[in-house]
Amino acid sequence: MNKWMAILAMVLMISCTSIDCPVNNLVRTRYQFTSSAGDSLKLLDTLSVVSTRKDGRDTLIFNKGVNVCKFHLPISYSHPEDVLVFYFDGENLHETDTLWMKKDDIPHFESVDCNASFFHKLTDIRHTHNCLDSVVIVNPSVTNDDAVVHVYIYPKIGD
Amino acid sequence: MAAAGAQAQLKFFSMQKDSIPLFRGFAVSFDMVGAGMLMFSDYGQYEGALRVNLHDEWFPIFEAGIGKATHDDEVTRIYYSTSAPYFKIGVDKNMLKDKHGPNRLYLGLRYGFTSYKVDIARPDFVDPVWKWDTGYGIKDAACNYHWAEIVVGIDAKIFGPLHLGWSVRYKQRLSHSEEGDLDKTWYVPGFGTYDTKLAATFNVIIDI
Repeated sequence: MNKWMAILAMVLMISCTSIDCPVNNLVRTRYQFTSSAGDSLKLLDTLSVVSTRKDGRDTLIFNKGVNVCKFHLPISYSHPEDVLVFYFDGENLHETDTLWMKKDDIPHFESVDCNASFFHKLTDIRHTHNCLDSVVIVNPSVTNDDAVVHVYIYPKIGD
Repeated sequence: MAAAGAQAQLKFFSMQKDSIPLFRGFAVSFDMVGAGMLMFSDYGQYEGALRVNLHDEWFPIFEAGIGKATHDDEVTRIYYSTSAPYFKIGVDKNMLKDKHGPNRLYLGLRYGFTSYKVDIARPDFVDPVWKWDTGYGIKDAACNYHWAEIVVGIDAKIFGPLHLGWSVRYKQRLSHSEEGDLDKTWYVPGFGTYDTKLAATFNVIIDI
């Protein structure tokens, strides 16, 4: 009988629950500058990205990146279209391009213990063509997997 | 060696030869642990069972219940709600040498299934970058869940047709599906919370 009680006690002791939230809970879009040959490209100019908040004021979401090849940008939780303004600054270059990114926003649930988050499905991108030749969605599914590149940017410069 | 193993298997599945008839009646039971959980926590279940007694050795069993969860998290402010029936079928074997005695030690298996809907919601919150108000909610997402249980239990005769019993159950998910992009749910009726591996029941059992 004592043996059975010991086994029961052991079983109950190992039945503790745990909070199992993902280590990375950031959901961001990852961009990569790409050459027309399909290779990743390092941007020698300085890149900043700005968007406009609800109150109409600008907010800086990427600040003065140099030698940028791949970079993350935040993605709005539940707005149907993000408008991103890319500032390219170099010795002889001061250009801006605007990028409009449409998306579907999907509420994502892990557990009641984990903060609410949204995953996204990119549906369309259009942009101005001052420095950018083309912008292509290569992986429309934006999740908390930080390693996935979602958008290829083909610049006119650097080709 | 193989012959000895086969003989042991045969012995496990065979019944003792004696004058006791094969069919020994039915028993109904009600789980008090699940009902207590439902009364004192955010989730739990009302569960009953119908057990067939075959020669006091084998006990085919059908279990059914209603699992409920209503949780409003103070930290994440996520509200989760579900309520649905679930069903389990399986069999127990009386492991005691004295099969026809007043007490039993069970070892059993179950297959469980539920089809349920969940509501998940959170009060609006502000997007940290763009400052837009953001609503978050999933309504009536249809899900289903299949699982297996290994059961170890005891059953003691108190008086007359009344028995009391404990069981400890190891649970293993077999398959699941959730509607749309909902990856997983938090509480599954009959199974428990998503990361549940062990559960216990305290049964009031009446022979009929």
